[in-house]
Amino acid sequence: MSAITIDAVKKTFGGAVTALREVSLTVRDQEFLVLLGPSGCGKTTLLRIIAGLERASAGRILIGERDVTNLAPRARRLAMVFQNYAVFPHMTVADNIGFGLRMQRAEADRTKRLVGRSAELMHISHLLARYPSQLSGGQRQRVAVARALAVEPDVLLMDEPLSNLDALLRLEMRAELKHLLAESRTTTIYVTHDQVEAMSLADRIAVMRAGDIVQLDEPMVIYGRPADTFVGGFIGNPPMNFIQVKRGDGHADLGGLHLPIPAVGGDTITLGVRPEELEPAPAGQGFEANVVVAEPLGPHVLLTLSYDGQQVRYTAPPGVTTRPGDVLTLRPTPAGVRWLDPETGRALN
Amino acid sequence: MTATTAPALTAEAAPVDRGAGRFLMQASVVLLCLWVLGPIYLLLVNTLNTPEAVAQWPKSLVPSFDLGSLRFFATYEGIPSALLNSVLVAGLTMLLSIGIGAPAGYALARFRFRGKNAFRMLVLMTRAFPLPLLALPLAVFFIRWGLDDSVIGLALVHTTLALPFAILITSALFMSIPVELEEAAWTLGCTRVGAFQRIVLPLALPGIAASGVFAFVTSWNEVFAAAVLTIENRTLTAFLLQSLDVSPLPLKFAGGAVLVLPALVFLFAVRKYLFSLWGIANR
Repeated sequence: MSAITIDAVKKTFGGAVTALREVSLTVRDQEFLVLLGPSGCGKTTLLRIIAGLERASAGRILIGERDVTNLAPRARRLAMVFQNYAVFPHMTVADNIGFGLRMQRAEADRTKRLVGRSAELMHISHLLARYPSQLSGGQRQRVAVARALAVEPDVLLMDEPLSNLDALLRLEMRAELKHLLAESRTTTIYVTHDQVEAMSLADRIAVMRAGDIVQLDEPMVIYGRPADTFVGGFIGNPPMNFIQVKRGDGHADLGGLHLPIPAVGGDTITLGVRPEELEPAPAGQGFEANVVVAEPLGPHVLLTLSYDGQQVRYTAPPGVTTRPGDVLTLRPTPAGVRWLDPETGRALN
Repeated sequence: MTATTAPALTAEAAPVDRGAGRFLMQASVVLLCLWVLGPIYLLLVNTLNTPEAVAQWPKSLVPSFDLGSLRFFATYEGIPSALLNSVLVAGLTMLLSIGIGAPAGYALARFRFRGKNAFRMLVLMTRAFPLPLLALPLAVFFIRWGLDDSVIGLALVHTTLALPFAILITSALFMSIPVELEEAAWTLGCTRVGAFQRIVLPLALPGIAASGVFAFVTSWNEVFAAAVLTIENRTLTAFLLQSLDVSPLPLKFAGGAVLVLPALVFLFAVRKYLFSLWGIANR
């Protein structure tokens, strides 16, 4: 079918700038894969190489069994949705959606049927006769997605398609996209720098950094068990806490708490724990931290605390009436503990 | 209320300053308009008066809408063929400028290549090269190649004059068309040429036409090369220059008007694209 194999793809610009080190990745048939990373990490370059808009310096791209590495974009049977929509301004919405089908010289009947269907899916059937200049940003985005779906591509590529929409619309489109693409079962690669978008949409997330894939896994695994401090810090808002702890004999002492630790590493070890994986503990059975800032946010109160000169964040239940200066005793839940190497940042357990 | 506090004073002073500034601005605008429109008006008045009225003194400032001067001009020996030559040379210049300039503009807008900025600079530098310096060698070469005194030869010279602007206008034009539109077309089944034809060309056509018109006007108005390189096949500008001392006054005015008016009308029609070249926002 249409799994995508990315085999040791490298990309350098002018021999000097390395955009992709050596990326290998298999996207399963019908999977929704998100490439997530900060700007400049190479995620868009990788997407453009898959689309054929950019040439890989080395490596191969396979769609299904076909080696498309040297094929022009038009021969790859894929469709792409661009960040700025790229809706053709001199064509009506109907002509835009039918453009790919006309290029394939599809019969008029089929074109009409597919245009009608994708317009209906995106709820823009009433706009078919309009020109893009008469549409809002959200509507243009719908046209762009409908145009991509109309050609029934093997692979759908999306490059930050929601980032130009305002916050409310983005939320709405996100849910709609998820529903739509789950039904269409098209293999999709989706590029974003928004971790919430990635978590919400992806079957699997590939977290990228500086031209490498750092971690590739299901969203909740990436969230709960980040491969290193970069992933833990990049995903989640507020990000994961990293606390430097002194290593004892087979355990680490966190205040009054003895925590079993992996046997590898030096004098100190990094404890990674999500703010919501901390819980209040009776005196002597946790670590004591001073409250620095308390921010009531509605669903919870975000507390910024100081422990041993290090900053720790804790999301307390909404009713909590803690003030700056108070001392809390906290402990990580057993499931929330992640040990990392303080030198390399890599996870140890 | 008395103006005892500082804020009140400045609040009063500000409108006065603004008023003075506005007056200065408006006066300058009026002066500049008169500077440009005055001569054109006199030209038109004298073109539309009878030949007798043009020759006498004092001149009338109101046109009598008499076509005598124009009729005289149109039937004057050599004028019709000179007019035809002007149109042919300008038309050919327009075609050559777009044919060479638009692809160069596209390359400047879309491709990264070594020496791109130097090329852009060089394109402009050709305009800094004084034509009179080139005139003699050019005339020699044209005679050797048999291009002298021909429409195509003059059109080639005019193309070199019009080309820098054709390149810069079209490159600004292509840059204003997002590259993603082309990329979207490629992924949807277009070849590079196909995407250009279906997406870029329809969007760029008005601007390309504008740059063509500008090339036309450049050639239409050019007098130096035309006067040096043609003898029998004079263009209108060269013909009028040549016969300046022998032709009667009505002929000069009518000729001037026939030269100026098309240029004015064309430039006015495409002003939006010329402004965008200089970075003034389209309005």
